[in-house]
Amino acid sequence: MSPHVVSDKVLVVDDDDDIRDSLIEFLEDHGHHAVGAANGSEALALLDPPQSPPCLIILDLMMPVMDGSQFRDEQLQRPAVADIPVVVVSAYKDVEQRAHQLGAVQWLAKPFDLTALLRLVEENCAFAG
Amino acid sequence: MLDPEGRVQSWNTGAALIKGYRPEEIVGRSIAVFYTPEDREAGRPAKLLALAERDGRVEDEGWRVRKDGSRFWADVVITALRNETGQLIGFAKVTRDLTQRVQAESEQRRLEGERIRAEEALRIRDEFLSIASHDLKTPLTALQIELYAMRELNETQRDERTGRKLTRASRNADRLAQLIEMLLDVSRIATGQLTLRRETFALAPVVEQIAETMRGSAERAACEFSFQAEPGAAAIVGSWDRLRIEQVVMNLLSNAFKYGAGQPVTATVSRQHGEGVIEVRDHGPGVPPADLERIFERFERAAPGRNHGGLGLGLYVSREIMRAHSGSISGRNLPEGGACFTVRLPIGSAPA
Repeated sequence: MSPHVVSDKVLVVDDDDDIRDSLIEFLEDHGHHAVGAANGSEALALLDPPQSPPCLIILDLMMPVMDGSQFRDEQLQRPAVADIPVVVVSAYKDVEQRAHQLGAVQWLAKPFDLTALLRLVEENCAFAG
Repeated sequence: MLDPEGRVQSWNTGAALIKGYRPEEIVGRSIAVFYTPEDREAGRPAKLLALAERDGRVEDEGWRVRKDGSRFWADVVITALRNETGQLIGFAKVTRDLTQRVQAESEQRRLEGERIRAEEALRIRDEFLSIASHDLKTPLTALQIELYAMRELNETQRDERTGRKLTRASRNADRLAQLIEMLLDVSRIATGQLTLRRETFALAPVVEQIAETMRGSAERAACEFSFQAEPGAAAIVGSWDRLRIEQVVMNLLSNAFKYGAGQPVTATVSRQHGEGVIEVRDHGPGVPPADLERIFERFERAAPGRNHGGLGLGLYVSREIMRAHSGSISGRNLPEGGACFTVRLPIGSAPA
């Protein structure tokens, strides 16, 4: 397996416009690049070349068109992006169990602790600077 | 007894009691009079007699009519009577009133129906709680992200007034989050999904830390607040769910600050009879003795009316958390005034 190239881009996948926009802005305020997708299908499109792959995917579970677990299945089938770590964020009461099933590196229950989120981003991503 | 044509020949007391006719009123009349108009029209009396004649005996359940016109559910057995030459000489007819049995069965069906409806209502409520709390969390998440970001922004701009407003707004968003979490807990408890994440830790430092984080609430309630770990408390170690224990302590402290506002509140950790014991004492009005048990039930709270907001779920959830730990929670009034809530936790490793 080729070593994962650490990028500085976080992919935020959430169908709630406000959550997505505030997260992106929050991450940008803390020196990270962030892009958003409103569902799994949009997120997959952002993983394809020529775009550089993200360093971390923040993934909501319940979304229209393609939900979080369907997205995760698709991601794992694409060797180029299968290793990108995923943080599951959800308001589901069994978020931990679901995150575990999906092989996520971490999970955050909505509403979540932003310092915990920042820590995860800093652990997985390079600073844009 | 009936004659071969189905006319009443003799009439006993039992028949008189069930159907209300005296012998002189009924002897000589056709049994058709005991049937409902619908059955008479359908020719049922004659059909039953024909069957009894053919087969020797017929049994029939159905509505019959008393003299006063009222109906009763009857079991009727008609037996053909023949002489030595085999000639039909009449019928013996025995009627039993089954109304009570039918009523009992119908009552049982009604109760069963009610039970099913009640279970369905509970299921719908729990599902509703679960979905509603999920939906409430979504806008709250966006709100908390923005509040957090605004507080960060204000740290560089240092506008004191804005800072205060943001602190208050964040605090209330947190309260909302806790309330939603409590609704979810109720739904978890109802569906048997309240599971513990046990880890081994010392009780006193955890309670002390929560006491520290609650200092702000104590100040806002103008409560002089002290925490004390009694000698030996450091050795109280067990396998518990840390977040759940914190939740119970926070609940007891916020109750103490709410009901004992303006008065001292103390929290202690001690070891008693091989158990870890947390006590929270306030100097408020206390709990009416009759309510000391009730306040741990769902949607109950001691102070009636509108003085204090809230669903009164905190103590219920706390009790369930303690039950899951094989521990207990109880409340009592103090002789010097105020209430004391006691949490008892088994020490040592978790039961297998």
